[in-house]
Amino acid sequence: MIDRKKITDFLKKYIVTILFLVLSLTFIILGDLDMTSVARDLMKRLSRNAFIVLSLIIPIVAGMGINFAITIGAMAAQIGLLLAINWNLTGPVGILVAAAITLPLGALFGYLVGVMLNKMKGQETIGSMILGYFANGAYQLLFLYIFGNFIPLNPKVTIIGATGVKNTLDLTTNGLAQAIDGILRIPFLNCVYIFAGAGLVYALVMFLLKKITKKKALVTAGCSVVLAAVFCLPVVANCFNGKNSEAITVPGITWVLILLLCGFNVLIMKTRLGQKFRAVGQSQTVANASGINVNRVRLIAIMISTVLAGWGQLLFIQSDGMGTLTTYSAHEQVGLYAGAAILVGGASIDRATNSQALLGTLLFHLMFLTVQKAASALFGDAVIGEYFRAFLSYAVIAVALVMYAWKGNAKRKKKRRICEPHN
Amino acid sequence: MTENKTISAKKTGASRKIVSAVLFVLVAALLVSSGLGYIVRGMDGTQVILDTMRTDAVLSTATSGLVESIAAARRLAYSQELRKSKEFRKMGTDAYIEACDKAEAEARDEATALYSDTSGVDRAALEAAIPGIQGIQGRYNAMKEGENEAYAALYTEVVDSIGDWTEFCDANADDDALWSALCAQVETLSDNVQLRPGMIKLVKAMAEKEIAADHAQQAAQLWSSASGAVEDWTAYAEAADEELWNLILEAVPSLAENENAADFKEELLASAKLAASGEAAAEAESETVTAQTQVDYSYIVYSDQLQALEKEVNGAFTSLWDVLISGIPALSELKDKDAAALRERILDVITASEGDFAQQYTKYASCGAAKKLTGFTKVKMVVASNAENLLLLGVAALLMAALFAFWKPITGKMGVSRSIILLFFICLMLAAQFYKINMSMLIGNILERVSMYGVLVLAMMPGIQCGISLNMGMTIGCVSGLFALVTSLNFNINGWAGLIFSIVVGIIVAIPLGWGYAILLNRMKGSEMTISTYVGYSFVSLMCMVWMGIPYHNPRVVNLLIGRGLRVTHSLLGNYAYILDELGSFKIWGVTVPTGGILFFLICCGLMWLFSRSKLGISMSAAGSNPRFAEASGINVDHMRILGTVLSTVLAAVGIVVYSQAFGYAQLYTAPRQLGFIAASAILIGGASVKKAKISHVIIGVILFEGVLSMGQQVANEAVSGGGLSEVMRIMISNGIILYALTQSGGEQK
Repeated sequence: MIDRKKITDFLKKYIVTILFLVLSLTFIILGDLDMTSVARDLMKRLSRNAFIVLSLIIPIVAGMGINFAITIGAMAAQIGLLLAINWNLTGPVGILVAAAITLPLGALFGYLVGVMLNKMKGQETIGSMILGYFANGAYQLLFLYIFGNFIPLNPKVTIIGATGVKNTLDLTTNGLAQAIDGILRIPFLNCVYIFAGAGLVYALVMFLLKKITKKKALVTAGCSVVLAAVFCLPVVANCFNGKNSEAITVPGITWVLILLLCGFNVLIMKTRLGQKFRAVGQSQTVANASGINVNRVRLIAIMISTVLAGWGQLLFIQSDGMGTLTTYSAHEQVGLYAGAAILVGGASIDRATNSQALLGTLLFHLMFLTVQKAASALFGDAVIGEYFRAFLSYAVIAVALVMYAWKGNAKRKKKRRICEPHN
Repeated sequence: MTENKTISAKKTGASRKIVSAVLFVLVAALLVSSGLGYIVRGMDGTQVILDTMRTDAVLSTATSGLVESIAAARRLAYSQELRKSKEFRKMGTDAYIEACDKAEAEARDEATALYSDTSGVDRAALEAAIPGIQGIQGRYNAMKEGENEAYAALYTEVVDSIGDWTEFCDANADDDALWSALCAQVETLSDNVQLRPGMIKLVKAMAEKEIAADHAQQAAQLWSSASGAVEDWTAYAEAADEELWNLILEAVPSLAENENAADFKEELLASAKLAASGEAAAEAESETVTAQTQVDYSYIVYSDQLQALEKEVNGAFTSLWDVLISGIPALSELKDKDAAALRERILDVITASEGDFAQQYTKYASCGAAKKLTGFTKVKMVVASNAENLLLLGVAALLMAALFAFWKPITGKMGVSRSIILLFFICLMLAAQFYKINMSMLIGNILERVSMYGVLVLAMMPGIQCGISLNMGMTIGCVSGLFALVTSLNFNINGWAGLIFSIVVGIIVAIPLGWGYAILLNRMKGSEMTISTYVGYSFVSLMCMVWMGIPYHNPRVVNLLIGRGLRVTHSLLGNYAYILDELGSFKIWGVTVPTGGILFFLICCGLMWLFSRSKLGISMSAAGSNPRFAEASGINVDHMRILGTVLSTVLAAVGIVVYSQAFGYAQLYTAPRQLGFIAASAILIGGASVKKAKISHVIIGVILFEGVLSMGQQVANEAVSGGGLSEVMRIMISNGIILYALTQSGGEQK
């Protein structure tokens, strides 16, 4: 009885996740795709997008829903990057300077977004989305008319014969493309072995320190060994070390940054500020009554999220395959895709964790990769795949919103039913 | 706390008073100087000064033309000399250009020193000759403009009435047959026989252009399906043509089966190479449709009278030219080409005296005649010439001052956002005056857009009234309307029947869709706006796939090249485009009134008004504004919400059909996605909130919003080179208004 209920609950919670997994597998089978190339593309996309998706977690915990206004953080990052290109900075230094500019700009924009969102409590999701649209207008105004006319720019970044910034900015000649990704590339298999080794060491140390039981330590150690053993098998290993093609590598520094952000997300929840986030997220009235300045906490949550999203966008742009920055559209879909990705991982409008974010990014981009190829294999036309993934992105968000509202309404009804006899 | 508030209120009140006082002083100064300018214009002495300026302008134009042609000739000679010399190979391009520039400047200085003295010219004779030319030239220009205008009208009529040029050309191979077929199409054409050769040439050129455009479009469509199929084109940067071609054939299977595939080889290979070199190819989907026909004047043939008049102008000018030559003999040595260019410039200066004071002054001053004015006279003339601009500035400042002074009462009555937009509207009107934009065209444009968007904006109203706030999911209705429209095209239902069919079928499809959508919304009261936005978005994307797979086979609607799936843009020209707008359309003061469209909008508004007065309508608004109270008084809130949502969806379906016929094109796929936002911002500008809306809000909103957008577009085009600013403005206004409304509602809720 209990088991069945648990299973249905699990299914309810992870229905979207399972759906995406099934869809992706179907597409792989239908499209008859080469697993190695899928795995390589997936690794690229995962390391490119994970940071941005992780930046959504804090506002969700603080009860502000999915912060679609991270597009504004992305805009701040693009302003920083433009200035870095304008000053002829190259390589990692350029990215670092852009990140340094993103920090105050993102914080300022985040502050403004937070002020607006505090005025529309309960409507944050739509509010942040429209704020993103509005900011896109301001961004175009800035890049088309203010830069070049009022703020002088290097002629190589402006449109020839007119004012305003070029449509695409080249990142390859100045070494900005792959500036972070290229520093340390580790073969994927080595990564697995390092991971397995770390698992073993963890189990051993924890057991010796008597933090975990013998059984648990054995399970952890066993899992690590099995993982390493599986990847030692020639069948699996050939898939990844690229006997037939280029080996799959992991951009080391990018993943260090991603893991740092995961750590930050966990640690901040243990501080006093993190507890405030959680308190405000659970109930604003209760938080207010216990002396928390609700509006201020919400402001901080959005500011952190905006800055992080800006840095995430920098990681995204430097890793993007084309080696260019499409000045007027690189930021447009950031919010939509990141929001959909975190929801695919099993997060809801008011609850999200690191693992959900990473899993969601993985599955969402797996679907993204496979649907297009499957569509061109099935229908002879890639465009339909494009429509399908746009539909899924919107639908995932719609479904999550519907589920959330449903749950909220059910709770409210229950409360009323309990209250009624007392009246 | 309250004390602090009153103090700060007083403070802001005081500063506002100071600002408005300063503004009022500015207004007074501006208005007085403008008045002085008008007085100066009326004085006797001014006309004399202006006449002297005109003679000066003619003289300085002549001498400067002479100097310029001497300098240019010297530059040419010098550069040829340089090319022959031995050092030429050693010097770079920059040094070469620099040397030429230097020679030219020297020659110019010399020539200026020689010819700047114009005292040899007989001024009296010159002044006597000018008015004669001015009269003839004025008549000539007026007549030419008239003929141009008539030609433009005929041109637009011809271009609009013929849907398929290639077909038209093929059906009437012979020139005579072509002409008579044209006259049959456009009756007024037979009165203008002199246009015959031009028009025939035009039709043939259009047919050629159409074939080329068709070809390009098909190539672009092919490319868009091919480009997506290959993940990374840059990998093929080194590939040979044949390899790329095979790749494309593989990507687009239908192309491989198509026997005309080779026709597109060149274009597709070019696009593929562009993609392979890492550059983004032009997107096929960003095709823009210009609503107005551009008139091409190269096919015009002028009437005999005009040609006679031209000869007369030539005669008069020769006598003036003689006077000039007697004073400056060097003029006679000018080459024919330079002399002709100089003639145009002098005639241009002379005809400027047809214009008003400001135009005359700026023209003469730009020719260097202002240099001879000194001291007080100069100030006087500058003020007089800018009288109109000063007046406009004064009025604008007056409005600002009034707004500052009476901020509280105005915003209290109209709401902050509406007052700001109204102010913006007025500022744009003044700016349009400043840039001398044709007022009647402007108003006609606004009316057209009001009839275009009216019903769509009206669709927002029942949604707000029944309590689902802004119905961003009205795109569901829009898509049903588009479906009906495409169906009518597919089954060749044309003209009025097609329009009515589209509306009726659109309504029939919209009702069940709206019903289901309403039931969904009923389950999640409180966050409808967010959900409806995403439901609308995902429905539009879902329908994108439906458009691709729908089993329609009429070549009118199908994407011809791929062989299945609907096109993005469907032209309604020659079918029911503008049919509603042109019903009873008339022209008054140069403004074309789209009577049918406006009437249809007003009838819809009237019906909605009647409905909201009925018992059902009143209970619907009650359910929306206070659901608990409504429930207590026996109203089924859920039913009322369903009624409102279905009404909104149905109106959206009707609205998109009306919109498409007024636009002349129907656009599928992602095009309708943002329509909900446009309608929402329009009704909010009209004064509605997310909880309350009236018919007056719809009408005021659509006029203000569309007025600001269409005027903004034209003013921005005049003020800033390069388009795009108006689009930025649309994004910011539309989203800013929705944001403002959201902050207001948020304040109420918590």
